[in-house]
Amino acid sequence: MSQHPTSGTTTRSAAPTARHGRSRRRGLAATAGIAVTGFLLAACGSGDGGLAPADRPAGEATAAEGPVELRFSWWGSDTRHQLTQEVIDLFEAEHENITIVADYASWGDYWDKLSTSVAAGDTPDIMTQEERYLREYASRGVIQDMSALDALDLSGIDEEILGAGNFDDGQFGVPTGINAYALVADPQIYEQAGVEMPDDTSWTWDDYLQITTEIAANTPDGVYGAQDYGFNEPGFAIFARQKGEELYTPEGELGFSEETLAEWWELSLQLQEAGATPPATKSVEVENGGPEMSLVGTGQGAHSMFWTNQLEALTSAAGHDLELLRHPGEADGERTGMYFKPSMYYSISSTTEYPVEAAMFVDFLLNSTEAGELILSDRGLPANTDVREAVRDSFTDVDKQAAQFLDDLGPVIVDSLATPPEGSGEVVNIIKRINEQVLFGQITPQEAASQFMAEVEGAIG
Amino acid sequence: MSAVAELRSTTKGTGRRVRRGPTTASEKRDARAAIFFLSPWVVGLLLITVGPILASLYLSFTDYGLLAAPEWIGLENYQRMIDDPRLHNALLVTFRYVFISVPLQLAAALALALFLDRGVRGIALYRSAYYLPSLLGGSVAVAILWRQVFGTDGLVNQALAVIGIEGQGWVSHPDTALGTLMILNVWTFGSPMVIFLAGLRQIPEMYYEAASIDGAGRMRRFWSITIPLLTPIIFFNLVLQVIGAFQTFTQAFIVSSGTGGPADSTLFYTLYLYQKGFGSLDMGYASAMAWLLLAIVAGLTAVNFFASKYWVFYND
Repeated sequence: MSQHPTSGTTTRSAAPTARHGRSRRRGLAATAGIAVTGFLLAACGSGDGGLAPADRPAGEATAAEGPVELRFSWWGSDTRHQLTQEVIDLFEAEHENITIVADYASWGDYWDKLSTSVAAGDTPDIMTQEERYLREYASRGVIQDMSALDALDLSGIDEEILGAGNFDDGQFGVPTGINAYALVADPQIYEQAGVEMPDDTSWTWDDYLQITTEIAANTPDGVYGAQDYGFNEPGFAIFARQKGEELYTPEGELGFSEETLAEWWELSLQLQEAGATPPATKSVEVENGGPEMSLVGTGQGAHSMFWTNQLEALTSAAGHDLELLRHPGEADGERTGMYFKPSMYYSISSTTEYPVEAAMFVDFLLNSTEAGELILSDRGLPANTDVREAVRDSFTDVDKQAAQFLDDLGPVIVDSLATPPEGSGEVVNIIKRINEQVLFGQITPQEAASQFMAEVEGAIG
Repeated sequence: MSAVAELRSTTKGTGRRVRRGPTTASEKRDARAAIFFLSPWVVGLLLITVGPILASLYLSFTDYGLLAAPEWIGLENYQRMIDDPRLHNALLVTFRYVFISVPLQLAAALALALFLDRGVRGIALYRSAYYLPSLLGGSVAVAILWRQVFGTDGLVNQALAVIGIEGQGWVSHPDTALGTLMILNVWTFGSPMVIFLAGLRQIPEMYYEAASIDGAGRMRRFWSITIPLLTPIIFFNLVLQVIGAFQTFTQAFIVSSGTGGPADSTLFYTLYLYQKGFGSLDMGYASAMAWLLLAIVAGLTAVNFFASKYWVFYND
């Protein structure tokens, strides 16, 4: 090599080196081929290996004798990570042979991470699930029917929502708590506009249009009557139910008519044209900003639609008390549309080596008052009704407000939603994109409705 | 031209020594040492790059939802691409981005390089300053900044307000969102600029002197000396930037919150690939998309190399 000139351009000095090593390169290529084949074989092997852990107890499940290590994965904020760790510490103190490994990520990263771990045969023993993905994971055999686990007592769980994790003859997820999709209103903006707060048990969608338009007109530029509601589907589910329809049927098909969806987008355009909601560009930005950047969170609007467990975040962003309102149209429709939704689920891997201990831990999370005192309403208003009552006094004022709202709502709720079909995780992206096209006038509400139905059918088909 | 011929003759030969592998014992020892020192890189290449690449080729012929084992379906993923309007849109968005922003970026890089090459005082400072965006451009922080700068209440609109124009939200309007990302790409002209600068330094001063004596003006010297001698560098930058631009992901992901919005106007190819793979858990289709992208980029690069015969001038 020393003969090579050190001067000259790189291409020129590289040329002889390349020729120099041709035969060697052939050898290398062969080695590479073998290594890659080995790698691929190894990768294929691990996928199968994960399904049959060698020391998994066959037949009836019994508690393990020696030390047990379980991995629990969840998504969420730093506050959730801290309080979940406290719950884990508490559980470990009671069960000295069990170690729980915490595995957490933000909402967006969580699903990438979870699906990749499953693909790698490294499914966490216990995981939090969400309704849009629950069926997908269940039908692929990733999570197990928890009703067969004796160590997990489900008798205390709110009947209203327990069924949501039960399908295909199995309890594949147990709800952690309940939530409702509601309107969050800012009383200060109402006052500023000189508009009376509506009676939310009787107001109609016409009232909503009128009130929000009036608020926008009576307040300075840049303050709006409402945030656009078209970027995700729970609001539409309520709207459809008020007309006696459903977002999805229990069989996992679309349960609404094209006219209803077109009407929903038509109303959204009317709101935009009346100036009640912001111009399209602003709506897009606000939507991408999350609760903290929402119109209600930043004092730029009187209404935004959110889940009740987001009230805390919204209130702290707004800096003053906000109010929860029922959706308009609950009284004058064919039936009420609002519903309780399990905020999330606990599920247990079907390949866990220690199903008994995993069930014990989930039981602790759900049914222990001590755990409830720590978790409070972080994963929704606790699903176990006894725990809910026991820890209620420890709630913050905002949580108490949300709990009261849900209590009052209970009697008017007809039923819960069917568990969304496989593939419904994509729907939020579809509706968001089509809503943008509607707001920018690229397509009419009618076109939007038929496009949405076609795309969703493709996704869940 | 005679100077070029002269240069050619002096540099000729160094690249012509043809050898057939190591012969002496010391060369063999050298070769073993080379392989030894290369091995960390080779192992990494095989396990982290080549392995997954081959795996993705296999997966592109399967229905693979990540949660269960892949199932062989032959060419179905590739057939589905034909009727996928979002894929076509993603291609359109990406092609527009590449064909508009890369030439602009290279023009900006060359202009700045020419300016700095004239021996500005404190050139090191300028060079670093202009290079900085290249390091930052692909980062999450800059993408967030971009969203802010081109937002409804962002810096751009605040500046426009001063002269009495009420601007819209640039990143949140389907007609302008892609444009803001093109500007971001043009802004990261630093790395081609540094390469241009190095190329300009390589051009012997004597050509310019000779041309001046013959009465060539500044423009004439630029078009007849600088540009022809710089064509290999332009070509190099072009190939590199085109390949890079096709792979744009971070900026679009952050600016649109991962959706490619508003209304799919920033749905870059790689972003759609990611959505398909991790959002829809359609890894088979996403793998097929990756191979289509590879084919497109390889095809364009081949065209580039073929066309280079007609405009790139190697003075050797």
